[in-house]
Amino acid sequence: MNPQSCVNINKEWDIVGARQLGREMAKEIGFSTVDQARIATAISELARNIYLYAEQGKISYEIIYNDSRAGLCLIAEDEGPGISDISQVMRDGFTTSGGLGAGLPGVKRLMDEFEVYSEVGKGTTIKTVKWLR
Amino acid sequence: MNLEITLTEEGNQSIIALAGEIDAYTVTNLKETFDSVTKKEGQEVIVDLEHVTYMDSTGLGVFIGALKSTKESDSELKLVNIQDRVYRLFQITGLDEIMDVKAAIRGGNE
Amino acid sequence: MENFFKEKTDEYKNLLAEYLEQQDEKALYGVELVSKALIKHNILPEEIINIHIKALKELDPNLFGAFEHSLEFLLEAMISYGLAHQEIQTLREQQIALKSEISVAAQMQKTLLKTKKPDVPGLDIGVISVPANQMNGDYYSFLQNADGTIGIAMADVIGKGVPAALCMSMIKYTLDSLPKESLPPPAVLHNLNRVVERNIESNMFITMMYAEYNPETSKLVYSFAGHEPGYFYRAAEDQFTEFSTSGLVLGVSEEVEFEQAEIEIDEGDMVVLLTDGVTECRDGDRFIEIDEVLDVIRQFTHLSAQEMVQEVYRYFERLQDFQLQDDFSLLILRKTV
Repeated sequence: MNPQSCVNINKEWDIVGARQLGREMAKEIGFSTVDQARIATAISELARNIYLYAEQGKISYEIIYNDSRAGLCLIAEDEGPGISDISQVMRDGFTTSGGLGAGLPGVKRLMDEFEVYSEVGKGTTIKTVKWLR
Repeated sequence: MNLEITLTEEGNQSIIALAGEIDAYTVTNLKETFDSVTKKEGQEVIVDLEHVTYMDSTGLGVFIGALKSTKESDSELKLVNIQDRVYRLFQITGLDEIMDVKAAIRGGNE
Repeated sequence: MENFFKEKTDEYKNLLAEYLEQQDEKALYGVELVSKALIKHNILPEEIINIHIKALKELDPNLFGAFEHSLEFLLEAMISYGLAHQEIQTLREQQIALKSEISVAAQMQKTLLKTKKPDVPGLDIGVISVPANQMNGDYYSFLQNADGTIGIAMADVIGKGVPAALCMSMIKYTLDSLPKESLPPPAVLHNLNRVVERNIESNMFITMMYAEYNPETSKLVYSFAGHEPGYFYRAAEDQFTEFSTSGLVLGVSEEVEFEQAEIEIDEGDMVVLLTDGVTECRDGDRFIEIDEVLDVIRQFTHLSAQEMVQEVYRYFERLQDFQLQDDFSLLILRKTV
């Protein structure tokens, strides 16, 4: 059993759909209300980044297991401009949202695992996991 | 306190009208404006300081930078309508000797 | 941590039950303490709302549906506040680290730029230099020349803080590398200008004055490079007069000629040197005028030169609500015999 799904991000409205699917899967796995809300917020942030900087991309969802522990893995992919200085965007206070505590550092905080791959001119892939406590 | 910058470009002439205070906090935008006009060849850059009430040394530094940059690009930098308090700074630092600066007519220094 | 969380969750529930029943202040005070304990353990706002929802559900299983949903809604709204809070926390820690780093640098700077007031019979010297932030962009130095004359240097680097302080070291080392025999003040400035001009960014500069006092002739020879004018107090006339020479600031152009002038100092006369941190003091929206500075100095002429500069500093520190806008340096030289 390895349910997998995916939401395409082409317009702002798709962010809502992405949140919705993420929340449903999180609920199914058994995440608490607080963690469901955190996952939804992380998805928002990833989807907004795609919408704002790459215009289009997708977010894939996967239920994963590690020693009988379940988790939700999110992968956000786009073929946008890419990030030239990853350390800079991962630094607190740099958020393009005007320092509202979101941005990629926010996603990292909301989730348990976080990886980012990016190549300028080719695009960005962000993989992030939240484990069931 | 803010600094308002109004740039008018016409042919080889750029007029930058400033209003407010020029200090370490407001200087960044001014520097960008200068960079955009002083690097072009053969320009006449006129800066109107009639409504500048205060300028600190960081502000002066930006004018020095602009002067050097206009010289390199064979352009000219002129400062007009400078108020007493600000004009004094140009005098003390000796910059009035190497820059084209004109005090405001009313209550002028000259 | 797990135990702490459980303990506080139960406490919250009990206090809530108490409050729902009696609406008493004691329960409200209790929840204040719980909330503080939770903050201390970095529990985020959305978790507190979750504690609230759970407690309410246990207390009243028939909780009105819309009410429960409204709380879920509030929880969602709090997530971003929680993130912002965490970010601020991290930035605060970074700020503390940065501050301690700068304070080490400031200490190094103090040691580096240390200068000794020369001991000249009949000459009373007072000097104070206070940075607006931790590091100082003002600089003063005394040089004891082999021929018995004393060199006095005062400089102000544009801006303040770390960049100004870094620039300052350049002045210090150039001054140190000058020959031991005394040079005329314009020559000193000329040497410094050459070094500064080569090593400074295009929008930076240094204002400076250099003077040389000869105790035998009681003459002060000076030269200014775009620095704030000095003030000479003639005791016989009880009056201050401005003194300066024209000259461009250091670091702008290599071909600058500096001028030289001199004054003769009599018993009771004073020489006042300062930086623009003194003359650019602001009292609210009002700029103080130089006359006000001189009036304040005049109030303290009965004191020693060192006490004078300290009192003058205290006066302007108070005037600016103890928040200096710029580095403040003041030097007073008085002939006592």
